[in-house]
Amino acid sequence: MSIRKKLILMQVFTSVLVLVIMFLVFIITDVKAFKQRKVNSVRSIAQVIGTNSISAIQFQDEAAAMEMLNQLHKVSPDITQAAILNSKGQVFAQYSPKDTAALEVPAFMKDSAYLFTKNRLLVTYPIVSSNEVIGKIFLVVQLNELKQITWNKYRLAILLLIVAIGFTFLIANIIQKYISRRLLMLVNTMKKVNRTGDYSTPLVDEGKDEIATLITVFNRLMAQITENVKKKDEFIGIASHELKTPLTTVKGYIEMLKMMEHEAPKKQFVDSAFKNVLKLEDLVKDLLDVSKIESGQLQLEMEEFDVSRLLEETIASAQMISATHEILREGEIKEEMICGDRKRIEQVLINLLSNAVKYSPGEKEVIVTLQKNEKELVIRIRDFGIGVPEDEHELIFDRFYRTKGSSVHISGFGLGLYICRDIIRRHGGKIWIESKEKGTIFNFSLPITGQTQQVAQ
Amino acid sequence: MNKILVVDDDTDILGLVEIMLNSNNYSVKAISRWQEIDSSINIFQPDLVLLDVSLGGADGREICKGIKMAKETKNLPVILFSANPDMGKFIEDCQAQSFIPKPFEIKYLLNTIQSFLN
Repeated sequence: MSIRKKLILMQVFTSVLVLVIMFLVFIITDVKAFKQRKVNSVRSIAQVIGTNSISAIQFQDEAAAMEMLNQLHKVSPDITQAAILNSKGQVFAQYSPKDTAALEVPAFMKDSAYLFTKNRLLVTYPIVSSNEVIGKIFLVVQLNELKQITWNKYRLAILLLIVAIGFTFLIANIIQKYISRRLLMLVNTMKKVNRTGDYSTPLVDEGKDEIATLITVFNRLMAQITENVKKKDEFIGIASHELKTPLTTVKGYIEMLKMMEHEAPKKQFVDSAFKNVLKLEDLVKDLLDVSKIESGQLQLEMEEFDVSRLLEETIASAQMISATHEILREGEIKEEMICGDRKRIEQVLINLLSNAVKYSPGEKEVIVTLQKNEKELVIRIRDFGIGVPEDEHELIFDRFYRTKGSSVHISGFGLGLYICRDIIRRHGGKIWIESKEKGTIFNFSLPITGQTQQVAQ
Repeated sequence: MNKILVVDDDTDILGLVEIMLNSNNYSVKAISRWQEIDSSINIFQPDLVLLDVSLGGADGREICKGIKMAKETKNLPVILFSANPDMGKFIEDCQAQSFIPKPFEIKYLLNTIQSFLN
């Protein structure tokens, strides 16, 4: 559940709880007050009847007593049953509708008492003449009215509760924005940073609470990371400069030896030394390229050129290096003009071709095709080697990623495909991998001339 | 025989370039201290200067600008070289004839130098 929903729910729940308790207290006190009033009024009626029936009891005038009880029922219809009892507790006169059960006075009720049963009120009241109790009045009141009133009150309470929930929801919805907006902003920024790796923009927040502290700490962390990334990039820049300086000397001397030396074994030593110097040079170049990509300094030098020809040239030079594999070009070969950075596209091709050779030991062929559709050129490089597991298809384009579980020893920093992907993306193209039963196909696409624009990253 | 003045604060590279150029029939003066550039140009009278960009305390680009500003040396070809390939962007700014990124191939170095000598 999102923090937004939680905040709203929390406020609505609190309000509902408070309101329910309040309504219950009000209804209970109200009902209690109503009952008290009812008891008082019935007791005063009983007192009046008691006073008026003193002579009827004294003269044993049953008819007069009955008449009085009938009159009572007419005046107060909710008094459904009534009785006058003599001092021994025997019924002297009573009124009781025909369809109700015979009147019985509960024995435990004293002379002056009242009792609420399910929906009736029972009241006894003493009849006193010259300080002597000569009998008592017993009344039964139907409490339908109370039931009605209570029910009405509950209904009103529920209605008010619904209205209150509605209002609380609206208000909570407005209030939660103040908290959740800032948290969401923080979360979204974190996600964005995670996605883009851009640590440079700080968050702005004018609050003074814990969220503000969180944002301040986040900003401070971002600043630290930016600083560290900057330091790292500077370091790579310096490191590659420092590595290149001795490399220049070593490469130069070996190259000179290579030119002078014609004796077979010595030439082999020099050749091998030179080959390794070239490898070292490529590693340093990769480091520098990554440093440029990371700091956003990699710029393309766009020009119009024929991809098909570049492909031919690159295949030819790759073929010269690889003695073990034959690199074949398949399909119709014709001019395909494109706007892009020729050197960088060449770098991608060399990288993919050398990967294809490197990861298919013991095989003989690498097949290159160039296809065209209305929007783009697609270059496919197919090898028949060890392949790439499905779950590594996205990962292999990450920095420093090295394939797992491979039986082939792989040299390099694991930066080649990362650089390739960046170069292709900057051209507005895509790079992807397909697994075949045997081996792998690396594809990359380039938009056709007129549509190619350097993509800012 | 064409005369070439080479300036680099790394004496290994200096020695290498000196041997490379000597063996290709150039007369070479190689110096590692940038302070000696002016006097070397005066005495040696080179046909071309091969100049490192980061010279330990001095910037090859500034020195190149200075050479191009002075009346008597403004037509002297200057080629910058550096292990930082980005320095290639600045050759127009300091009026250098060309830029060679390190590490370089012998053939490339010789071809570039030759193209600025008549």
